[in-house]
Amino acid sequence: MQTERAALNASAARQPRSWGVWGINLLTVTLALVWAIPILWATIVSFRPPSDNLGRGDVWFADRLTLDSYEKATSLAPFFPKWEDGHLTNSYYTNTIEFTALTLAVQLVTVTLGGFVFAHFEFFGKRFLFAFILLQMMIPTAILLVPNFVTIREFSTVYLGIPKALYYKEFSLYDTPLAMAMPYFGSAFGTFLMRQAFLGVPRDLVDAGVVDGCRWYHLLRHVYLPPSWPSLIAFGMVTVSFHWNELLWPLVVTSDKARPLTMGLLRFTQLTDIGAQWSLMMAATLIIAAPLLLLFIIFQRQFISSFLHSGLK
Amino acid sequence: MTSSASVRTRWQMRRPRIQWLPYVLLLPTLYFVFLFTVYPTFKVLRDSRIYYHPSRPDRQMVTDLKLPGIDEATRSIRGPNNVGLAYFRAMVEPDSPEGETFRQVIGNSALYVVGTVPISMILALLFALLVNRKMRGVGIARLALFYPTVLPMVSAATIWLFFFTPDYGLWNQLFKFFGYGGPQNWVINPKLALWSLIIVAIWKNAGYFMIFYLAGLQGLPEDVYEAAALDGANWFTQLTRITVPLLRRTTLFVSVIAIIGAFQQVEHALVMTYELVSGEADLLLYEIYQQRFIQQDYGFANSLTVVMIAILFALTLANVFLTERQEYAN
Amino acid sequence: MKVRLLLIVAILVTALGVSSAAAQDKTVVTIYFPIAVDSPVTEILDEYTAAYEAENPDVDIVFSYEGGYTDVQTKLRTVAEGGGDLPAGAIMLATDIFDVANAGLVQPWDAYVDEDTLSDYFDVWLSNSYYDADGDGTGELYGLPFQRSTVLLYYNATLLAENNMEPPANWQELAEDAQTLTTDTRWGILIPNSWPYWELQPFALGAGQNLVGDSDTEVFFNSDAAVEALQYWVDLYTVYNATPAGVQNNWGDAPGLFASGDAAMIVHSTGSMPGILSAADFEVNVSGIPGKDGGHFTVPGGGNLYLVAGIDDATAQAMADFALWLTSPEQTVDWSIRTGYLPVRQSALELESWTSYAADTPQAAQAVATLDSAGPELSVQSLADVRNALHTHILAVLNGEEEPQAALDAAQAEADEILSIYQ
Repeated sequence: MQTERAALNASAARQPRSWGVWGINLLTVTLALVWAIPILWATIVSFRPPSDNLGRGDVWFADRLTLDSYEKATSLAPFFPKWEDGHLTNSYYTNTIEFTALTLAVQLVTVTLGGFVFAHFEFFGKRFLFAFILLQMMIPTAILLVPNFVTIREFSTVYLGIPKALYYKEFSLYDTPLAMAMPYFGSAFGTFLMRQAFLGVPRDLVDAGVVDGCRWYHLLRHVYLPPSWPSLIAFGMVTVSFHWNELLWPLVVTSDKARPLTMGLLRFTQLTDIGAQWSLMMAATLIIAAPLLLLFIIFQRQFISSFLHSGLK
Repeated sequence: MTSSASVRTRWQMRRPRIQWLPYVLLLPTLYFVFLFTVYPTFKVLRDSRIYYHPSRPDRQMVTDLKLPGIDEATRSIRGPNNVGLAYFRAMVEPDSPEGETFRQVIGNSALYVVGTVPISMILALLFALLVNRKMRGVGIARLALFYPTVLPMVSAATIWLFFFTPDYGLWNQLFKFFGYGGPQNWVINPKLALWSLIIVAIWKNAGYFMIFYLAGLQGLPEDVYEAAALDGANWFTQLTRITVPLLRRTTLFVSVIAIIGAFQQVEHALVMTYELVSGEADLLLYEIYQQRFIQQDYGFANSLTVVMIAILFALTLANVFLTERQEYAN
Repeated sequence: MKVRLLLIVAILVTALGVSSAAAQDKTVVTIYFPIAVDSPVTEILDEYTAAYEAENPDVDIVFSYEGGYTDVQTKLRTVAEGGGDLPAGAIMLATDIFDVANAGLVQPWDAYVDEDTLSDYFDVWLSNSYYDADGDGTGELYGLPFQRSTVLLYYNATLLAENNMEPPANWQELAEDAQTLTTDTRWGILIPNSWPYWELQPFALGAGQNLVGDSDTEVFFNSDAAVEALQYWVDLYTVYNATPAGVQNNWGDAPGLFASGDAAMIVHSTGSMPGILSAADFEVNVSGIPGKDGGHFTVPGGGNLYLVAGIDDATAQAMADFALWLTSPEQTVDWSIRTGYLPVRQSALELESWTSYAADTPQAAQAVATLDSAGPELSVQSLADVRNALHTHILAVLNGEEEPQAALDAAQAEADEILSIYQ
């Protein structure tokens, strides 16, 4: 964490002296602007009326600002839940949140336990099991969508050993947020990251705890976790931004009820029978990207450092 | 450290019986990794032999045994539906349709990697050098360069779809400004569609790789530069003789994640080349999706997955090997 | 640990409402619908649903909206495979008939539609509806016409009048008019070719030979007519400079460009008519595509209603009743007025609602008039591959890499090879 913090402080840097500092500043500003054009354009255009044709005239500004495109986008597709017949309807937002939260919740448990086991215990087959888990880094879930689709299809409450009493009927996993989340419940990257973090905990503290006769969960809770929160939070951020933006796997295992935001946007890109309605598409684009972008702007330092962690993959 | 290690072993010595606890705690992770990574890897190897197509009379299921819990592979992998390595043979045959598709997709993926990785890495280093300075508003510049990482690829592709619009899309306006009069329709032009994907990927990834270079730059020793400055080395010499060589490990690391990432990034294809019906810009993973869920050629999709696993495995091994050599070199 | 974890997950999922526990005593009829037009389709369908359910209280109609036709088919396949709940019906492209019937995704309508009703549907719309899937020598009815359109030539009548032009009557006139109307800021004609076969078909017909005949295993990609049609496309920009060179404007942008005056003529679908009429501030006229030596030609397009296979009889019957209601003369006129798709029943044209609409909106009547000169849309076995062979070579010609004759010969050879397994 030290280095990253330093990295973000843009410390007194070595500046090429022979160049005009002005020139470099200009270059920085220009590049930043060029890189920002897409989001600026999208934002501006999303406030145009949806029926606006972006012709050869002005592709930036219309004669008025309006929220019509947002209204139309939300009316054309269920981005937000509605209250109907005493329960909330399915919507892209709730599906995405459900999928992301479910993934995150389970992952936090599994990676903490996994990291703890590899950092704390000596046991038979440790190296082998570690290698076994690291396989997941080499073969990412995304490319196994063909066989995993079959797994999801064949899976049901019966396989999971869930008693029927909990459900009004046996359900298949297909087209549920659980189907999207399940392949990510075990995370090699997270396990690896937490193992590194726990190995950084001073041994003396652990030994003191052991001598005092702490049970393993006390050790984990009071010795290992307190100094390792930053890693866990970083992992959480990477997980959330990765799954919030995920498309291909959800596309394969959901079809209707559980569709996430990204699939909602995909539908908009295909509304081409009439002509491309750019303002409408941009409104939809921003609806799905806004939460993460806003979080990122508020917590940019934490975000950038957590992405630096993600490179450990 | 040694004392603590000895305490630890002593603690273990006091408890000679087999510890079951670590295995129990690992069980969830092992279970899910097995179910969604290890088992499917063997499954695609097995199922790459399926010769079955739901809507072709010459490839029907021989047995229509439909038992719950038995997937299509097990049902159809007997008798004529099992073609062994035929798909892999077809891939290397010069004039089989599978071979043509395969070569095109591999060629596209290779071009995509070659087109995206070096350029986005050079840009990333440039960005890192630029924002690693004292300047008013440098935080905003960093934000502007990094935000594409957090933006969903679908959103990015949708925005760029407009930029590539013929005639008045910003990209084409820029080209026209410089007097280019060639084809305007990037996204549905088989020759340019892949390049439009590459451009979007460069724009999206450069800021992500920038942070690794930024971290790398922080670790560089100050005194070397001071000495070089005293020797009268100008900025260019400093960059090429000191900065770039010292960042070699970062470069190696970034190139590995960039290449492996390039194989997994296909969401922009779903948006941008959706209308390109001839499939001339298909990347490997996108082709796998298409073959399995649109064309429904089960065996081919599984065979392509096997190839993709092999490629990623080879890349990972090369990565380990290179890193080891680096360790020795240092 | 594992079981407890899964229990927690299960409880969580249940709590979040994956299961909507509500016992239904109604027959639920779910229909997959591609939203591909910009009309408030969902609102219209909600109205229809309410009206129908008021008459039939024991039926619950549920529309499930997808992005486009491809998505509907993909979703139906995946759900059939994935063990999700099958819908009762789906609106898919008329041309998908062979693929979906071979895959066993759909069943025929024959048992539910009587002869009299069937003969009232326009023949053109039924030209892609029959397929002899069981090999008994007679075709079964798989596609019930619903969301149908044709290829039209839209032209800016105000602009033509200003230039003292008659509407183009043949290829020569069309090209010369387009050439005259091209300025620095306006193209004479746009023929989108992101989906080229559909736009090429009327031109090939106009030169005397459609790309497809009555057989589901035969195509005519390299006939003299098709080569002339493709050459004509190339001439439009090489000889007349009346259209952008090469692979051209995207399907989605053309209507907007036409409505804003950036294009004098476009070749496009009937489905974009409402959007164009509401956005254009000049007089819009439509016709079929002029033939090489006169006459006007078109081909049908759009989607049919399909009855999904593997559903119980009561649901199938309920779906069929609703489908017949949806395509009844009164409904088809209403649907046409509000979406731009054409009526599917001949008797609909005699209804007062249609005649008054056609008096107000002559373009709609002109569009219906093109039906007399329509040939079937390209639809054969293994359609995606065959169409791909054609598309690849058409795009290569437009990119200047191949000559029309050689390109279409190659497309024909590839298509024949694919189709040979069905013969």
